[in-house]
Amino acid sequence: MIQSEALSRFFGDQPAIRDLSFHVKRGEVMGLLGPNGAGKSTTMKILTCYLPPSSGTAIIDGTSLDEDSIAIRRKIGYLPENAPSYGDMHVASYLRFTGRMHQIPVATLSDRIAEMGRACGLTAVMHRRISQLSKGFKQRVGLAAAMLHDPACLILDEPTTGLDPNQILEIRQLIRTLGQKKTVLLSSHILSEVEAVCDRMMIIDKGRLIEMGTASELANRIQGGSRVEAVIRGDAQALLKMLEKTLPDVEGEALDANEGGRLKLRHGSRGTALAEAVFHAAVACDCVIVEMRREQVSLEDVFHRLTQENRS
Amino acid sequence: MKPVSAIIWKEWRTAVDTPLGYVIAVAFLLASGFFFGNHLFLTGQAEMRSFFAVLPVLLMFFIPAMSMRALAEEKRSGTFELLATLPISTTQIVAGKYLAVLLQTTVLLELTLLYPSTLAMLGNIDAGQIAASYLAAWLLVAAYVAACIFASSLTNNAVVAYVLGFSMLLTVFLLAQAAPLLSPAMQNFLYLISPLSHYQSMLRGVVYMEDVVFLLSLCWVFLVAAHFQLERRRWM
Repeated sequence: MIQSEALSRFFGDQPAIRDLSFHVKRGEVMGLLGPNGAGKSTTMKILTCYLPPSSGTAIIDGTSLDEDSIAIRRKIGYLPENAPSYGDMHVASYLRFTGRMHQIPVATLSDRIAEMGRACGLTAVMHRRISQLSKGFKQRVGLAAAMLHDPACLILDEPTTGLDPNQILEIRQLIRTLGQKKTVLLSSHILSEVEAVCDRMMIIDKGRLIEMGTASELANRIQGGSRVEAVIRGDAQALLKMLEKTLPDVEGEALDANEGGRLKLRHGSRGTALAEAVFHAAVACDCVIVEMRREQVSLEDVFHRLTQENRS
Repeated sequence: MKPVSAIIWKEWRTAVDTPLGYVIAVAFLLASGFFFGNHLFLTGQAEMRSFFAVLPVLLMFFIPAMSMRALAEEKRSGTFELLATLPISTTQIVAGKYLAVLLQTTVLLELTLLYPSTLAMLGNIDAGQIAASYLAAWLLVAAYVAACIFASSLTNNAVVAYVLGFSMLLTVFLLAQAAPLLSPAMQNFLYLISPLSHYQSMLRGVVYMEDVVFLLSLCWVFLVAAHFQLERRRWM
């Protein structure tokens, strides 16, 4: 649906994005993650034809950026950062204006506005001035305007910035619902948001793509195997030796703890192999596992590790 | 043309929904009415020369006020990015904004038709001369609006856009005032390039094609300049 091929954009000598290639499948919600100034907004501005790329191109729903930018804009719904809109206008007038700009037939425009009003929870505020609305409602007005022409693809630049926790949940729910029917590319620097809403994510830093995949794929990639921490009742040192026989590459240490020991283990394999080995070794050594947990790498760790690695 | 008419419609709705448009209209009618009435009662003649003589000075204040927000406000509030990512070209954005302000200023100018209507009831007016003068006034308005739309495209601050537009029109006015002090060659040159001399030429009641073409060309030049100014982001 969105195919970016070696996109680069320079502002003077300064590169904003460099050789950015990625693919977003039809019906997928893709998160674009990166620290401030990483090039997220520039990428979105290029995909929405606001800025031309310095080199490279992108193909959106079969149309290339340099082929027909007007046709691409018809296929895209765009919500820029901070959801700008005309504060002097009423919600209904603003949506009507957007509809006319998209040349939606007059006969269907009113129905479409009512439908989007319902979908985005705007029915009660249709005849209020946009400047009088709360930030959450303004964001919804922006989303309704972006979806009015029923685009195949939605590009949302930090759609939940500045919202309170309830509003964030509402907008996330709305995006998840939309994601069932449309291709969505959304940028954010809130990691939990991307994890909650997106099918896949890509992390960019300093204009370069660092990683792309699902949250668990990214976590596995930087974790480099699995980690297990266990509290046992019995001889921890013996258990560790037994483990080293059954899983030769296991790394770990046995610490003394009250009435037994604590094991911290790391192994190159992914999945549950290490935890299973600990269980069998404990049975063989006649130890009791009081507590055992597989260490999860949070998305924050992934993000931090990857962007730091890129910097160094 | 649909997106252009959508922009014109939106600007018109904003102008009639907010007090600023009415304040400008009332102030313009009060000021122009003062100069029209003053001359009428002093001379007792059924003619509008003093109104058309003072009109460029009034336009110098009012047209920047009506044009200043057109593009500067869009850029300040971030809505320009929305507009520029809708399926319309930059040419259509400039055309829509220009025609929207031109429509509003034309309505303002039309409101002054009250003056010749009053004169027609009081005495014999030279309808041809007044019609030519109104055509001249409308062409001058069209050129001034184009210049102020260009000023609005240069900045994202409406006040700065006003000052820039006003300064451009003031320069035109001051050059016309200073012309008699200059050498004949400079006077001729100024006559050629000043929109005011082409405007004044038509006030006599004779419409020369060169005057019309000059003022329309001026519109075109400023609108093309505004277009390039908006497109500048693309190659920065």
